[in-house]
Amino acid sequence: MSTSRPTVDGVAGSIGELLEGRITNSHLALFGLGFVGVFFILPILLLVPESIAFGTGEPLQAYRRATRGIYVDAFVRSFLYGIVTTAVTLALAYLISYFMAFGTNRVRLTMTLVIVPLWIAYIVRYFGILLFLSPAGPFADLTGIEPSLLFTTPAVIIGLSNVYLPFAVLPIYNSLNAIDGELISASRVLGASQWRTLVSVVFPLSLPGLVAAGLIVFILAAGSFLGPAVLGGPNQTMIANEIAGAFLNNFNIRFASALAVIYSILLVGTLLVFNTVFDLREVLGNI
Amino acid sequence: MLEVRDFTKYYGDLCAVENLSFDIDEGEFVTLLGPSGCGKSTTLHAIAGLVEPTDGQILLRGEDVTDLPPEKRNIGMAFQSTALFPHMTVRENIAFGLKMHGHDSTAVEERVEESLELVDMPDHGEHKPGELSGGQQQRVSLARALAYEPDILLLDEPLTGLDRVLREEMRGWLNRIQKEVGVTTLYVTHDQEDALSMSDTVIVLNDGHSEQIDSPERIYESPASPFVAEFVGKSTRFSGPVSREGDRAVVNNHNKAITVEGTGVEDGDDATLYVRPEDIEVSRTAEGTENEITGRVVNVANLGNRAEVTVELTDGNEALAHTNRFPDIDVGDDVHLRFDPERVIAL
Repeated sequence: MSTSRPTVDGVAGSIGELLEGRITNSHLALFGLGFVGVFFILPILLLVPESIAFGTGEPLQAYRRATRGIYVDAFVRSFLYGIVTTAVTLALAYLISYFMAFGTNRVRLTMTLVIVPLWIAYIVRYFGILLFLSPAGPFADLTGIEPSLLFTTPAVIIGLSNVYLPFAVLPIYNSLNAIDGELISASRVLGASQWRTLVSVVFPLSLPGLVAAGLIVFILAAGSFLGPAVLGGPNQTMIANEIAGAFLNNFNIRFASALAVIYSILLVGTLLVFNTVFDLREVLGNI
Repeated sequence: MLEVRDFTKYYGDLCAVENLSFDIDEGEFVTLLGPSGCGKSTTLHAIAGLVEPTDGQILLRGEDVTDLPPEKRNIGMAFQSTALFPHMTVRENIAFGLKMHGHDSTAVEERVEESLELVDMPDHGEHKPGELSGGQQQRVSLARALAYEPDILLLDEPLTGLDRVLREEMRGWLNRIQKEVGVTTLYVTHDQEDALSMSDTVIVLNDGHSEQIDSPERIYESPASPFVAEFVGKSTRFSGPVSREGDRAVVNNHNKAITVEGTGVEDGDDATLYVRPEDIEVSRTAEGTENEITGRVVNVANLGNRAEVTVELTDGNEALAHTNRFPDIDVGDDVHLRFDPERVIAL
């Protein structure tokens, strides 16, 4: 006796038939854009009225408070940490990517080693580093060396660079891997040494990936909350920690919103400046 | 100028080239011809220093360069992909090799202009390679390879990506440039027309070894092996035992005894014979001459300037003959094929 069981193909097929001709590309775009609109743009826009004290003598009081020293420091620190983390991460990611693209046949293994940390929650990874750097931790017990890095700026930078490294490796590896091997051969035959080929041919052609990686890492690092919270001390507070503190500890929604609005404007402003220098459309279009 | 001595290359256990030796004289145009996978590209890359030989030596101007990196060899190379640097303008591409060869900036500028003139593209210096057509890109690629006056020019299937008309035009053009500059050239291709039309000497490669090193004429008219006869040009193949009759030999084929004019085949040998299609005459009437065989037409391909007629012989094999353009012959016609004993290639 033959029975017909519904297969995945069958189910997918009948759903396909049902939708056939009714869904256009603009429908598909609507789902994605709708999600972004409802859960990203709208909430961010809501922060603006929330940050303003309507009906009081000083509607922008939260913004005035945000110009105080400790908050300005937190803004500056966020951008500086973002820049330093980006520099460190790009340098490390470039080395790893170069090795994967040109130095090994075991690309899949290396790629797995790069990607696996992404499967582990940030908090776990930061705690691992915390334990590793802790003067009373197993590393200190084993070696007798008591690292004094914990709760300092280098500790935060180490943590952030470590956590965001995979985000930089992927685009850089992609752009290096896309370089036609014959271009490298041509450069060598034309008289350029290996080093000269790296500087004049490989590096310029990998710039789109490098810029994309830099953007991603900078935005993630500058806005990070967990890294400084776990690995930093009071002098490593970044803007996300101030926003979280105002909102969660002091329930000062207005002030938290004002900080968030200022941060968003600064970030978008930075990207616009960046765009005039690098022409993002061209850079990202090449990836 | 260039000497390749017992060049051997293994990739793991796989032998790409085995004991290949050949010389190229100053100013000569030599082609490495063979099917894909025959080792011709490996050989070219080894000469450029991009592939490390497993064994053997490469001498350039009498100097052993086997262990030198590519940048120390003074070689010019054009690639199938053109390999123009996409982030540089045409001018910068050509200047790159000149700078790497230590020319100062005035010399670089002068040479770039001369090179652009040489390839008839004086107005394209500021373009990026992506803005040029395939043929223009190949010309820039050649200008870049020649700008610093290399000892030898290596061409790795540079015409392969181009369409037929452009390809034929580029052949003549490339030949003119090569003669004008007088640069020693080694050209790699799987295209027999490229090889026959441009070269002074053709090296036919098969499965990692050379089958024949000879002039284009000798390669076509007197192939040294069945591989060369079958790879270069089309032909009809007969085979059978030989019986000698004076300075002639008769090969007993299924279809008919075929007479061959004075050749190296000996009594009792099994010989393989090849007849070029342009040496076979197709006729509706029998004349009773030597080497006349009959068959039935199975295909007529009109190519404009000639037609290719495929004839099925009585033993089931097929013969190929060229006729005048648009012949009065149809599929299914019974025809007689005739060829001169002197035009039979016997191996």
